[in-house]
Amino acid sequence: MLTYSNRRRTRKNERGPFLLVLACGALFLASVASAQIYLPSQPTPLPSNYGKVILDKYSSTEPGGVVFDHWLHRSKFTCRLCHVDIGFAMRANATGIRAETNRLGFHCGACHDGKRSFEGQTIFASCSSAENNSQCARCHSLGKTNVRKYEYKAFTARLPKALYGVDWETAETKKFINPVDFMEGISVKKAPMQTRQDFAITTNLYWVHPVRFSHEKHTVWNGCELCHPEIFHTVAKNQEQHSMVANIVGHNCGACHGQVAFPLNKCSGCHPSGPTWM
Amino acid sequence: MLKRGIALMLFMGLVAVIGGVYAIGEPASSETQTAPAQEAWQAEFDDICSRSQNAMTFSQQELADLIQRCDVLMPKIEKLDETRKKVYMGRLRMCRGLYAYVLESKENQKK
Repeated sequence: MLTYSNRRRTRKNERGPFLLVLACGALFLASVASAQIYLPSQPTPLPSNYGKVILDKYSSTEPGGVVFDHWLHRSKFTCRLCHVDIGFAMRANATGIRAETNRLGFHCGACHDGKRSFEGQTIFASCSSAENNSQCARCHSLGKTNVRKYEYKAFTARLPKALYGVDWETAETKKFINPVDFMEGISVKKAPMQTRQDFAITTNLYWVHPVRFSHEKHTVWNGCELCHPEIFHTVAKNQEQHSMVANIVGHNCGACHGQVAFPLNKCSGCHPSGPTWM
Repeated sequence: MLKRGIALMLFMGLVAVIGGVYAIGEPASSETQTAPAQEAWQAEFDDICSRSQNAMTFSQQELADLIQRCDVLMPKIEKLDETRKKVYMGRLRMCRGLYAYVLESKENQKK
């Protein structure tokens, strides 16, 4: 026979699992809400469109807007070569690319001059002359189909993939790609860089794992001057304030990550001790 | 008289030819004068920016010297045509910025 106190205890025991499920559910909803606050509200574009730059100043007239596939060029050249040596700005519309500047051997024309050869092929000339119309659509391809030489799916078929698109770091480590860092007549000959040590960045939130910053990899791809002092400008140790909000709006890591390098919602890319599914 | 006239004409022709040669030759010589001037800024630019990879290894004095060389070079790059100026000024600013950044970092370490 159950006494009153025993009945209360039994009821408590029955409520236990229910409360546990309720607490887990609440925790899950809170984490989703938190992620919504911190992660970009815009959906990340498809890997084939990631980092794509559209230059559509002349899109209403021939030859039409230019579509620049960042993934194609990053597979062949370091970030530094284009953004330091050639002078492509890290922000849209800040470079001042014109057909005339290309013809003079700047911007796209620094490599696309019809004379240089790369991987055994002559690099086609950009904006070279009116007679060269058949080549225009290779870059001025906005809204056109079957005019581009390289398509993302076919081009990246042999490259290692991450949860999100190509795993560029592994692709380079395993020698699938070998980005060129020097272009004769454009780049300055430099002594080999001394290896920079990777380091950890601690976080203020106890449940967020420290960042493992691959300084070595970043310097190989970017050199020093692409990041310092333009993007990371604080010199005193532990004074640089990072936040996901700043990253999302394009500061610090967000200058590249979320724009052209792996997106910010790939948490394990920077917080490697975190859950692998992230 | 005729001989004197022919001699005079020949003399004038010779003067004209020599003068013409000098006249044609002058732009070429001015080109050869400007080419080294162009190369001078380029060589200086290359030398300054070729050291950026190892900026961390330089002493404070070396970094200060590099920054000063950047400042001296900037007005020369300002005189270039628009596109060349934009490209090279951007690159030089990056080099200078890096050296200043490393210098400041080293000064901070000493404090």
